Amino acid sequence: MKLNRRQFVQSTAVAGAGLVIAFRFPEVLSNTEPAVFGPNAYIRISSDNVVTLSITRSEMGQGVRTNLPATLAEELEVELSKVKLDQAMPGVRFKGIRLRTSGSGSSSGTFMALRRAGATAREMLISAAAQEWNVDRSSCRAELGFVIDKTGRKLSYGKLAAAAAKLPLPENPPLKDAKNFRLLGKPLKRIDGPAIVRGQATYGFDVRVPGMLFAVMERSPYLGGKVSSFDARKALAVAGVRHVVPIQTGIFTGLAVVADNTWAALKGREALEIKWEKGPGSEFDSEQFLTKLQSAFSEEGFPIRREGDTATALKNSASRIAAVYEYPFQAHAPLETMNCTADVRSNSCEVWAPTQTPDTAHADIMKTLKLPAESVKLHTTMLGGGFGRRLFSDYVYEAVELSQAIGKPVQLVWTRSDDMRNGFFHPASVEQLSAGFDAGKRVTAWLHKSAGSDLSMFGPPTEEEKKDVDRYAKDGSPWGAYDNPYNFSSMKVDYVPVDSPVPSGPWRAVEYPARVFARESFVDEIAHVSGQDPLQFRLDLLQPGGILTLGTRKLDRTRMIRVLELLRGKSGWTKPLVGSDKRLWGRGVALNIYHAGSYVAQVAEVSVARDFSDFRIHRICCAVDCGFVINPAGLEGQVESGITWGLSATLHGKIDFRSGRAQQGTYEDFRVLRMNEMPNIETYLIPSSERPEGFGEHPVPPVAPAVANALFAATGKRMRSLPITPEKLMKT
Amino acid sequence: MALFRIKVNGTEHRINVAPDTPLLWVLRDSLGLTGTKYGCGVGVCGACTIHDGKEALRSCQLPIADASGKSFVTIEGLSATGNHPCQRAWLEEDVSQCGYCQAGMIMTAAALLQKKPNASDAEIDDAMSDSVCRCGTYLRMRRAIHRAASEARKL
Repeated sequence: MKLNRRQFVQSTAVAGAGLVIAFRFPEVLSNTEPAVFGPNAYIRISSDNVVTLSITRSEMGQGVRTNLPATLAEELEVELSKVKLDQAMPGVRFKGIRLRTSGSGSSSGTFMALRRAGATAREMLISAAAQEWNVDRSSCRAELGFVIDKTGRKLSYGKLAAAAAKLPLPENPPLKDAKNFRLLGKPLKRIDGPAIVRGQATYGFDVRVPGMLFAVMERSPYLGGKVSSFDARKALAVAGVRHVVPIQTGIFTGLAVVADNTWAALKGREALEIKWEKGPGSEFDSEQFLTKLQSAFSEEGFPIRREGDTATALKNSASRIAAVYEYPFQAHAPLETMNCTADVRSNSCEVWAPTQTPDTAHADIMKTLKLPAESVKLHTTMLGGGFGRRLFSDYVYEAVELSQAIGKPVQLVWTRSDDMRNGFFHPASVEQLSAGFDAGKRVTAWLHKSAGSDLSMFGPPTEEEKKDVDRYAKDGSPWGAYDNPYNFSSMKVDYVPVDSPVPSGPWRAVEYPARVFARESFVDEIAHVSGQDPLQFRLDLLQPGGILTLGTRKLDRTRMIRVLELLRGKSGWTKPLVGSDKRLWGRGVALNIYHAGSYVAQVAEVSVARDFSDFRIHRICCAVDCGFVINPAGLEGQVESGITWGLSATLHGKIDFRSGRAQQGTYEDFRVLRMNEMPNIETYLIPSSERPEGFGEHPVPPVAPAVANALFAATGKRMRSLPITPEKLMKT
Repeated sequence: MALFRIKVNGTEHRINVAPDTPLLWVLRDSLGLTGTKYGCGVGVCGACTIHDGKEALRSCQLPIADASGKSFVTIEGLSATGNHPCQRAWLEEDVSQCGYCQAGMIMTAAALLQKKPNASDAEIDDAMSDSVCRCGTYLRMRRAIHRAASEARKL
């Protein structure tokens, strides 16, 4: 998948656009299904009172299969439990409608479109009933699946569906006033909960098709390597192994072993004898790369932001500080490893995939197999975690190529180490920060230079893009460095892209975590150097509030200030932190504004052994303003989830490359947080009627700096690279 | 290949597979019981946890040859209607996010409560911290286990 940076930013930041357009091209389905009322691609109401909503996003734990039907049911005036869900299939009916799940935009991006879809259907059903009764439609109302008139007569939606299907679409159906919401803004439990706790939810790994075979694949152990030659005889001799097939279309080429069951395929793979051609990335070493990133600071790079005259301000400054921060490569490591089931026949293809991008995968399969849209059926299953990894369809293409080669349905699965070593990693980056003060310790200059790799999905810049020195700044990149919300009298931000052979992709919160770790840690350094309270210092830096316009983004500093003030009270920031005097205690604060939409601030509380041999995070308070909250229970879940994700990276996460090979391959060497490491997490919301914003990724960026700042408060030791371990603390 | 007999969720099965096939793949690929998940294959994530009598067992670590003649319970057989105290508590606390790890988590928690009906936070952490949830639902899980314990005591 190749996107340019601008397309990617649009597809994540302006998540609603696709659906709004989709709604302008509604499809009336009554021609093909006479008994069904389908005022647009999303809804069908059949004569037996079944309301079916097609979910246009992938469920990966963020709750779309709860929030989307609630949004529809609110306006349509049906009970949530009566809405049946199916998963939108790319191709015919959803042609041109966005099915991609990214940028934390699923609930917020579909919010208005689904409300309008529900309101359209509701108004048409009311009109159909008014016609049937021959009364003025203003005497009729919709209520829980019925249209009722003022005499108390009622007709079910099912009975009205056929008549409603013949009516013209209303131009601007009225939307409900938020004060009359039954479902939105109220805590809702996950609709899939009962299926999950009984082991009945179907993930990609659980797809079973008659006659299917099972496969695993051996990919090049070296970045960009290829099979040079192989001997499959021993593999084919393993009981149950049927085929050994070269595969070209995945992230790296390799050999697939197909068998009667997964275990036989795994044993067959072990028996393969392969000679590899090492390829261009075979010497890659991530430690050397970090050094290379640091030396890139001597390059000019691309201008990202210029405010005031930093050169003069620095020259005139009474004192200066500077620091460099490092963020390592990270793996996504979703619990369900990559997998796909494909059944390619001569004139058709059916695919079952846990994917965040069914629409682009579908289009690519059509192109590869030269089949029309209706001949390629792609079922999006439940996703056992996505986090950005499943925006890439490499594993789908592998399975399609394999099924085509063997002429049978096959499930191709990745083992845990396949998954950890062959991902689209979060790219490592290094940030150089410096600041100058006047004699009154006021910050007069802020300089931030960021060095890292562009994501693989952006591809190389076009000739036209190459001429544009402002191309990163125009796209608001790097996130977190560009949209720094603070009010400094002069500011200079630059970016130096440094190529690496490591495939890289969006990882929960994408460009923010590394830049916010550096920015929020350095703001803390400045506060301590200048003897100011780190939270009050941030409040001061956000003065005088109001809107900060950066390109197309409008950051509302007043909303950020309100969040920080709420956090100060709820976290007990101004009260002393009391704990066992056997340990050192500290609090740290960090904040971030995500794409000018969501405002988040966190306070972390830590304690450290006096010999620094261990430390523990006890509590994280998170204050949030993300506009109107569709499902407060879901939002709290996302806060807990995002903070856990951030803590995994803060305390453990790191992928090392040596001689072109990822070194970690299990949950033992690439640890993620476990229950015994969990702090208490408290979520505080600012009530808001502003447009809803996404929240899947947004709690991640402040976690690492809040923890690092708390550790500094406890120990006086500044942690400038992740992961933060007791060993590093002891050595600093 | 060899013939093995196991009982799963009360039903006898005869399976013809290689003797070193882990029970996990027998459940999933031979018996179609896909509620038990693959997460790591090396016994460090807990997604494949089932019950061997009262014990929680990582099914990726037991070859079928060593399982033969034994009786196991998977998530599909934990309760007849999904009403085991842990399953009910999991819904009450709205634990699941992506949900992929949850079957293994519930089986681990159910085995813990059989042995320690009044498990403390520390005992819960001890039993659950060999299992991985990448979505980070641990706090709700811990609450659900306490809730299940108190529900079970009322029975």
